[in-house]
Amino acid sequence: MAAVATCGAGAGGTESMAAATSKSNVTSFQRRGPRARGTDSGGPRLVSIAGTRPSVRNGQLLVSTGLPALDQLLGGGLAVGTVLLVEEDKYSIYSPLLFKYFLAEGIINGHTLLVASAKEDPADILQELPAPLLDDSCKKEFDEDVCNKKPESDIKMKIAWRYQLSPKMEVGPVTSSRFGHYYDVSKRIPRELIETSKWHGFFLPEKMSSADKVECCSLTPGYMKLLHFIQNIIYEEGFDGSNPQKKQRNILRIGIQSLGLPLWGDDVCCSENCDSSHSLSKFLYILRGLLRTSLSACIITMPTHLIQNKAIIARVTNLSDTVVALESFVGSERETNPLYKDYHGLIHIRQIPRLNNLICDESDVKDLAFKLKRKLFTIEAEWTVRERDREKGLSFVVGSPSNDRHGRCTTLI
Amino acid sequence: VTPSEGAAGCGRWSEMLESLLALGGLVLLRDSVEWEGRSFLKALIRKAALSGEQVRILGCEVSEEEFREGFDSDVNSRLVYHDLFRDPLNWSKTGEAPPGGPLGALRAMCKRTDPGPVTIAIDSLSWLLLRQPCTTVCQVLHALSHRTPCPGHSPAVEQVRVLGLLHEELHGPGPVGALSSLAQTKVTLGGTAGLDSAHIVFRRPRQRPIHQTQWFSVLPDFSLDLQEGPRLECQPHPDPYTSPVDPTTHLTFNLRLSKKEKEARDGLTLPFQFSSEKQQALLCPGQGQAASHIFYEPDAYDDLDQEDPDDDLDV
Repeated sequence: MAAVATCGAGAGGTESMAAATSKSNVTSFQRRGPRARGTDSGGPRLVSIAGTRPSVRNGQLLVSTGLPALDQLLGGGLAVGTVLLVEEDKYSIYSPLLFKYFLAEGIINGHTLLVASAKEDPADILQELPAPLLDDSCKKEFDEDVCNKKPESDIKMKIAWRYQLSPKMEVGPVTSSRFGHYYDVSKRIPRELIETSKWHGFFLPEKMSSADKVECCSLTPGYMKLLHFIQNIIYEEGFDGSNPQKKQRNILRIGIQSLGLPLWGDDVCCSENCDSSHSLSKFLYILRGLLRTSLSACIITMPTHLIQNKAIIARVTNLSDTVVALESFVGSERETNPLYKDYHGLIHIRQIPRLNNLICDESDVKDLAFKLKRKLFTIEAEWTVRERDREKGLSFVVGSPSNDRHGRCTTLI
Repeated sequence: VTPSEGAAGCGRWSEMLESLLALGGLVLLRDSVEWEGRSFLKALIRKAALSGEQVRILGCEVSEEEFREGFDSDVNSRLVYHDLFRDPLNWSKTGEAPPGGPLGALRAMCKRTDPGPVTIAIDSLSWLLLRQPCTTVCQVLHALSHRTPCPGHSPAVEQVRVLGLLHEELHGPGPVGALSSLAQTKVTLGGTAGLDSAHIVFRRPRQRPIHQTQWFSVLPDFSLDLQEGPRLECQPHPDPYTSPVDPTTHLTFNLRLSKKEKEARDGLTLPFQFSSEKQQALLCPGQGQAASHIFYEPDAYDDLDQEDPDDDLDV
């Protein structure tokens, strides 16, 4: 625009402009950018941060949660600037896995991590991240997995229901490994990857060294400190655009483990009418404000089965963007139910956000179950178990409506 | 009791107690009015003391003499007792009590830097929960059971065990749930007439919890005698899914097909499968198939007049 002004400041008219263009052989509309100079920091339109991709629906920038099956269920991935709340299962066996997948995905993509916990030291959490599966070896793993499952895979389903037309969940690795990687849960991530990555840890017992009981604006001190910590990191490392970043822009992945436990100083889990009943809601509200104005994504695991006041759970769900609940069969009557014998638990997608949109991208499949295999955490639609049983030659599966809320009955002709 | 049985019994109870103590962390003993837990706690303390560990006790509910009663002298010599029963609010100001009240005493135990495994027994957690906020108690217990190794000593993880007695009926589901989520091992005492049972849940991190039920009786010297469960009905409630009802009875369709029937079934074209024969049949309907007829008997109300019925309207 400045170039045009100088060109047109003279007598005006097309002749002088034509003369100017013919002289310099360059159009008067100069692109203000480093393109002519040929540096690789790219024009302002091409924001390509490693490990992100725009959503196909609304162009929102998405990051992977570490589980490609979960990405598919959430509409492509987790949007940058939002919170993923994972409601923990009863004995907290499977929710740490989702947490670790999220962090491992951050390390593989080179994102900065911020790990906060009141229970475990963040350094210990990072040591236990799963190892990534490289493309050629993981193709072999999946092939042998698939072969063990279906020996007669060429027999097509010959029943009237059109199961073969339903969308299949992604089981195998995608060829492009820029978004969504696969991990081997039985192996640990190599130490070099952790050491070369950038991470910040927040371990509450270390930060709350003195017994300071100062409570201001009804936020428990633990939450206050965590918010200050997050805010400092965002500001100092420029995730909110405050410090002009010369180097490549990056995403901050925040992971908060077991928020709401009494170890944070919050008594939502201890009593129904707790003193600091608004503390958790305020924390989530302020956190969401911090996230919306920065390039970050957050995963929070919360033991909602311990929260005594159900209204607080509803508030927490409304204040988070994406909510996923895990329900494991351990210790419940469903453990012995033959309908669920292939799975370890159910996964419920409770909420998906509508970001700059009127509708959200929910998947058609609503009954989802998960299973932790030796190396992999898989999420499948519940009816796929009947597909496998059919191929094994079992006649049918009857679910009595009184025991199972679905009351499903599949019959063969 | 024959010697072999006695020896086997001894082996088993010591194994059970060892498995309880081996996991480390917080061992939560939940008792109630009918099934008191202090004797079980003392049995655990005796086992820990006999295996050479240091045992520190925070006594709040009974006096020291009453607590030490029943232990023999070598066990008693290894117990370090912090008495909060006699003077909980430190009114006599003798200067013996550590600052910060009971939680300060616990924190002081946490800061000892002696090597070797340590067992801390809290007599009872209910007493603490009634006087201190639940969150603070949880934080102190967590700090106790996850004591970071001090820099002067070897970096091996110190084995710290915290045995906490909790009277379930005094608290609502909130504090009990919060402490259960913090505990590595949870023992719920119960039983039937005459026999005590302990339902034990081992929670190793990131593994499925292991449930175990053990019947026992506590002998006067606080050793445990494991028993078989009651001979009669302690049957688990009938599992609805393993009932022997055969679901293949009373069906309206045939499950067992003969070979001919199977072939006939396989030869069927399904409604949503589009094959070339079906395509031909749809494109040329009259070929080889009799056209279908519809037979209709007109009713009394049917008007077979072909004219427009709206002509009759006066609009």
